[in-house]
Amino acid sequence: MRRRDFLGKAVFTTAIIGFSALPYGLARLLSPATARPRQNHLRPPGALKDDKAFNAACIGCGLCGEVCPVRAIRFHDRTGGDRSNTPYIDPSIKGCILCGLCMKHCPTDALQETPIRKIDMGVAQIDRVACYPWVDRGICGACVSICPLGEHAIGFKAGNIYRPVVKRGCVGCGLCVEVCPEPSLAIRIVDRSEGTVAKHGIGIRRKRQ
Amino acid sequence: MSAEVSATTDIKPAYPLRHLNKLRWVVLVIVFLMLVLLPFLHLYQTYVAAHAYDLLSAPERRLYDVMEWLTRPFVTDPATDLNAIKGTTWSGSLFGVKLSDPLAVVGQVSAGLDWYWPFVMTALIPVAVTVVFGRVFCGWICPATLIYELNDNLASWLRKVGVPIGRRRLDRRMKYLVLAAGIVLSYITGAVLFAAIYPPAVIGREIYYAVAQQGFGVGAVFFILTLLFDLMLTRRGFCRYVCPGGALYSLLGRFRLFRIRRKVETCNDCAKCNAICQFGLDPLHDDFGQECNNCSACIAVCPTDALKFTVSMRDVPFQGPGHLGRLYRKQAQGSGT
Repeated sequence: MRRRDFLGKAVFTTAIIGFSALPYGLARLLSPATARPRQNHLRPPGALKDDKAFNAACIGCGLCGEVCPVRAIRFHDRTGGDRSNTPYIDPSIKGCILCGLCMKHCPTDALQETPIRKIDMGVAQIDRVACYPWVDRGICGACVSICPLGEHAIGFKAGNIYRPVVKRGCVGCGLCVEVCPEPSLAIRIVDRSEGTVAKHGIGIRRKRQ
Repeated sequence: MSAEVSATTDIKPAYPLRHLNKLRWVVLVIVFLMLVLLPFLHLYQTYVAAHAYDLLSAPERRLYDVMEWLTRPFVTDPATDLNAIKGTTWSGSLFGVKLSDPLAVVGQVSAGLDWYWPFVMTALIPVAVTVVFGRVFCGWICPATLIYELNDNLASWLRKVGVPIGRRRLDRRMKYLVLAAGIVLSYITGAVLFAAIYPPAVIGREIYYAVAQQGFGVGAVFFILTLLFDLMLTRRGFCRYVCPGGALYSLLGRFRLFRIRRKVETCNDCAKCNAICQFGLDPLHDDFGQECNNCSACIAVCPTDALKFTVSMRDVPFQGPGHLGRLYRKQAQGSGT
């Protein structure tokens, strides 16, 4: 009899606990983690580098998006799982203008106020087999002319005034990605460790070896 | 003026607390309208910042004109001045003061297991208000409350028409478990899970998404499910039994200073207060408890003005039947003779 009481209580307790987790389960059911993080989804400037730390710090209030004067900041939809309702910037749609309002308004430590030069959203990487001037298919310079950091972040290769070269000062705002006329996106924002020159090209790899 | 009032005998003496409920509705509507207006203001700001009036389509231009007309008396440079009021009730900034829901702080701390003091301090004012006034956010500010109360009015109407509407009673302590489960699950998953199920957060975000982003997100579906839960199972069920924010506010407001109290001398036991209380509390038997959100609906409905606000740390124990009621008269006669 005592064992039966105990079992009954145990079942009741688990049922209660299960029920209390129900709303969260429902919310998760409605927004499952199906999509993998896309490469062109950058975090806003000043974001915590570690994605897990960012998800834990962001409360999903949407303030960063609400103050963004160019509406660059969007929000992960229901396919984001833990990333749902956290902000991202897709530079192929709209790049960040580095105005710093999102960092200023973020109530949490997810976006921390950072001086412009110290921002690290990534780094621009140029695909030298897709960029028009690099394959001698025309003159462009759009990325160089729009860069808000100018000389520090991107310039032309010495001796050729149209071939863009990303420099150390690039903070990955993605404005160059937005204006790049090449439909296959000759320039994109990648993690700093991946370097400023795309390495997939066979010719480039041969040259390096 | 008082002479006039006393001259006509059937007009009761003025009882300003009666009208508190109307004030509350005004506040609720204003908060909700602000939540709708702010995303539009954001759009307007982006148009201004881009100097893009000539490039706008006709509806965008109409929006621009309306917003310009609305804000012109208050701001000189819309692109920056309108940033004074931003955000939702989940977290926002009001004239330079950052305010956050205490639940957001609890969720964030449990998800990341460390304190970020500037953020914790943003919940200070709401917590202080809750400690003094109780669960007043739920009754007076929460944008979901407006919809839930309208939903409850709909339920009452449906009931009158003859549609069977569930009015089950569950265990009030359920929501504390939901709060605890949310804290544990936030820690396990490392995401602030409250944001997905807390109706005021969901509503603010969904309105913003619908207006200024790609359209309603999944939170709208969740919110409609909670409306159905309220409609079909229990009265105000989500707020009473599930809402983790309500649980947190209830705990914080347990020893609130401002409480509604029954004046037993003028109570006539009509039980209208019990019927109007959407949280299913029992004002008639002096049982308000920590769940009461000081919404003052019972004060507004009381025909003898027997309910008032008092400053006290706890409710009084049951004071017996109201002195204007039949039961009290019977008892008095019984003891008298």
